[in-house]
Amino acid sequence: MPSVSRVLKIAAIVLVAAAILAFPSLAPNPYVLSAGVLVLNYAVLATSWNFVGGFTGYISLGHGALAGLGGYATGLLVVKGGLPAFAALLVGAALVAAVAVPVGFAALRVRGASFVIVSIALVLILLLVFQSWASFTGGSRGLVVPRPFDLSRPEHHRVFYYLFAGLLAVALLVWWLIDRSVFGLGLKSIREDEDKAEALGTATFAYKLMVFVVSAGFTALAGGLYALWFGDLDPVFQFSILTGSYLVLMALLGGVRQLFGPLTGAIIVGVALEYFKVEYGDTPLHLVATGLLLALVVLFMPDGVLPAIGDLIRRFTPGDRTSIREVSAAELRDQRLQNAGGTR
Amino acid sequence: MPSGALLFQSVILGLLLGGLYALLASGLTLYFGIMRVVMIAHSAFLILAAYLAWWLHENIGLDPLLSMIGTVPLFFGAGLLLQRGLLSRLRPATLTMMSVLLTFAVALLVEGLLGYAFSGTQRRINLGYGSAGLDLFGARIAVVKLIAFGLAVVALGTLWLLMKRTRFGWALRATIQHRDAARLLGIDTERVAGYGFGLGLATAAIGGTALSLDTTIYPSLHWHWIGPLMAIIVVGGLGSVPGAAIAALLLGLAQSLLQIPMGTTWAQTIFYLALFVTLAFRPQGFFGGRLAQRF
Amino acid sequence: MTLTVTDLRKSFGGVTALDGATVAFQPGRINALIGPNGSGKTTFFNCVTGMIKADSGTVVHRGRDLTGKAPHTIARNGLGRTFQLCRTFPRMTAVENVLAAVPPKGLISGLRSARRREETDRAMGWLTRLGIEHLAHAEARDMSWGQQKLLELAGVLMAEPQTVLLDEPAGGVNPALLDRIGALVRELNAEGRTFVIVEHNMDLVMSISDHIVVFDRGRPIAEGPPAAIRTDERVLGAYLGV
Repeated sequence: MPSVSRVLKIAAIVLVAAAILAFPSLAPNPYVLSAGVLVLNYAVLATSWNFVGGFTGYISLGHGALAGLGGYATGLLVVKGGLPAFAALLVGAALVAAVAVPVGFAALRVRGASFVIVSIALVLILLLVFQSWASFTGGSRGLVVPRPFDLSRPEHHRVFYYLFAGLLAVALLVWWLIDRSVFGLGLKSIREDEDKAEALGTATFAYKLMVFVVSAGFTALAGGLYALWFGDLDPVFQFSILTGSYLVLMALLGGVRQLFGPLTGAIIVGVALEYFKVEYGDTPLHLVATGLLLALVVLFMPDGVLPAIGDLIRRFTPGDRTSIREVSAAELRDQRLQNAGGTR
Repeated sequence: MPSGALLFQSVILGLLLGGLYALLASGLTLYFGIMRVVMIAHSAFLILAAYLAWWLHENIGLDPLLSMIGTVPLFFGAGLLLQRGLLSRLRPATLTMMSVLLTFAVALLVEGLLGYAFSGTQRRINLGYGSAGLDLFGARIAVVKLIAFGLAVVALGTLWLLMKRTRFGWALRATIQHRDAARLLGIDTERVAGYGFGLGLATAAIGGTALSLDTTIYPSLHWHWIGPLMAIIVVGGLGSVPGAAIAALLLGLAQSLLQIPMGTTWAQTIFYLALFVTLAFRPQGFFGGRLAQRF
Repeated sequence: MTLTVTDLRKSFGGVTALDGATVAFQPGRINALIGPNGSGKTTFFNCVTGMIKADSGTVVHRGRDLTGKAPHTIARNGLGRTFQLCRTFPRMTAVENVLAAVPPKGLISGLRSARRREETDRAMGWLTRLGIEHLAHAEARDMSWGQQKLLELAGVLMAEPQTVLLDEPAGGVNPALLDRIGALVRELNAEGRTFVIVEHNMDLVMSISDHIVVFDRGRPIAEGPPAAIRTDERVLGAYLGV
C-alpha cells in the first residue's frame, strides 16, 4: 500500500515536471523565457555537481570551471575546428571528462580538503590561462560561437529550453540509476566513512575518480550547451568562482541526498538570482547574499529543504511507526562509559 | 639571456616576496594544525587589513604601519569569534568539508562588504617614501618592499618565540600535536584553539598592512592570494611553520625568476603547477609535515 | 599457516610502534592478541590490513603476498576486520550497511541494483543470525552501541572472509551481549573461520581462544595456549612493568 508521503512525492514530481515543460508557453516574453533557460542550466549544473557532492560528500567549488571549460571546448571546436555544433558539444564534453582524470587523480588521492583546494585552484588557473592565451581563446575580448539554428530569438530560446530540459532529464536518470546501484551504495559508504568503506573492500579511489569524471562530463555538456545558446564566452564569467559557489548553494539548499534536491535548489536560487539582477543590477549584493546564505545553510540546514519538508509531512501524517531505538539500560550505561573513556 | 643585475634583482625581489608569503602561509598552517581547517577567508582578511590601512591613511593621514595598532587586536578578536562562534559549531564528522565552505562563505561576505564600502575601484596608498629605493650591487630594491619583508620577519620571529618560549605556545603546540593528550594534561583545548585562530588572523592583519604599502588593491584581489597560499602550505607539507616558510621562499623565488622570461601573469602558474604535482605525486609535501596524511 | 606476518616494523616519528613483529596464525583457530596499552596490537592490525603502511616486513595470507597492498585488495583476499571503536555507516540503514560489504566485481555488475534479491536475502540472513533483523531498516546512527557492534560484525561477515580480525569486540559491551558475542565467535569458528582478536577482557580471551600471542613494546614476547600464558612469567612482567 503506497503511503501518503509517497503519493505526495509522486504528485509533486509530476506537477513540477508539467510546470517545467509548460513554462515556455506561459512565459510572457522572450526575456523571461531566457531566464528560464538560465535556471534550467543551473539545474543541470547543480545535478551534475551532485554526482560528486551528493554521493561521496566531496564538495567541489570548481564545477563552474568545468562548465566553462566545456563551453570553451565546444566553442573552439566549432570556431577553430569547424565541427558541427552538436558534434563539438559531445567531443568537447569527452575532452573535459578526459581532463578530469588527471585533475581527479591529484585531487582525490588523499582524502579531505585537498579536493576542495584543487577545485578552487582549477577555477583560478583556468581563468589565468584563458585570459592570457588570447591568441587561442580570444582572451578578454571573448569568443563568439555561431548559433547552430537559424531561428528567431524567441524560437532560439524555446529550442534551447527544451534541450536543457532533456539534458536535465538524462542527468537525473543517470543519478537515479547510480543511486540504486551497487556502485552507488559503495559511493555512499565513502561519504559515510571512507576508511571503513575501504576496509570492507571498496576501491574508494577508483570509485571517487569514476564518479568525478561522470560529473565533469555532464557539467561540460551543460557548459557546452550554454555556449551554443548564449553565443559569447568571456573568461571572467566562464571561470568564475561565484558560479561554483552558486552550484554548491543550490545543491546544499535543496538537499544533496535527494534526487531532486539540486533541481529544487536551482529553482529557488536561480529565480532569486535573476530577480535580483533585474531589480538591483550587478552589485556586491550577489556576493553578500551568496556568502550569507551559504553560511546559514552550512550551519543550520546542512541536509537541505527537501528533507525538512519531508519531516514536516511525516509529522502531520498519523503513523504507527514505533521508535526504532531499543536500548536497554545496560547498553545506555555502556554508551556513557564509552563516551567518558572515548579518548583511547 | 637576462643580465646578471636583472637576475640578482629578481632573486632579491623573490626572497622579499617569499618572506611575505611565509608570514601569510604561517597563519594558514596554524589553522590547519589546530582544527584541520583550510581557512579560505584568510586572504580576504588580508585584503581587508590592506583596505583598513588605506582608508586610515586616506582619511586621517595615518601611516599604514601605525594602523596595525588597531587592526592586529581587531583581527585577533575576529579570529577568536570565527572559531568560537562558527567553526566550533560544525559536527566533527563533516568538519573538513563544511569548514572550507563556511570560511569560503566568509570570504565572499568580506569581499562583498568591501565592494559595498569602498566600491570596486582600485586603490593605492601614496606614501612619501613609496618611490624611494636602495641600490644594492646594481639591483634596485624599493624601500617599501624591504619594510614589508622586515614586517614579515619580525612577525614570524615573534610567532616563533611565542610558540617556543611561552606557556601559551606550549599549550598551542600540545593542542596541535595531540588534542586528546593535551586535554588530559589539563589544557583547555577549546580556548587554546580560539586564541590560535586569533593569532592566525593577526598575521593576516600584519600581512595586509605589508601588502598595502606597494600594491594596488581591489575587493576580489584575495583570489589571487589564496591560490598561491594554498599551494605553499601543500608543498610545505602542512606540518609546520618552517616547512611552509621554506616552500614560500622557494616558490616566491621561482615566481620572481620566471617573470623574466614569461611575464607576471604566466609566472603565477608555477604555484598551481606545484600544487597539482605535489598532490599527485607526493601528497605529504616536500618538507615533511607529519599531518599531511590527514589532509 | 593461514596468516603469516614477518618482521613487521613501523615507527611514528621517533616512537617505535612495531619492532620487528613476526607472528604466524594457524587456520581454524581463535587467536587472541594481548598486551599492555601501547604494545602495538592495533598498529599490528592496521599494518596487516593495509590501513597503515608498514616501514618494512611482509604479510602473507593463504599463500598470497599482501604486503603493501591497498586495504580494499586485502579485504577482498579474505581478510576482514572490525575497528576498535566500532565503525558503521551512520546514515545508511542496517541492511545497506551489510550490503555495502559486497563490492561489485566489474563496471557492469556495479550498475546493477544494490537490492538484488539474493544479496538482500544474504544480508538479512546475517542480520538475523546476529539478532538484529528487526532493525534492518533503521539507520545505524539510531542504533545503540551494542547493536552497532553487531552490525559492524554482520558487514564484515557478509564479505565471507576466511580470517576475521576483531579489534576489542568486548569494548563497551554489556555482560549479556558479551556472552552472545563469545558464543557467536565460537560458532563462526566452528564453521571454519579463523579469528584473530585484540582484547583486554581477560575473561573473554581465556574462555574462547585456542592460542594467545602476547605483545610488548611492538613485538610478540610469548605465545601458547591460554593455560600456559596464564602462568607465563614474562607475560606477568610485561603487564606489571617488572
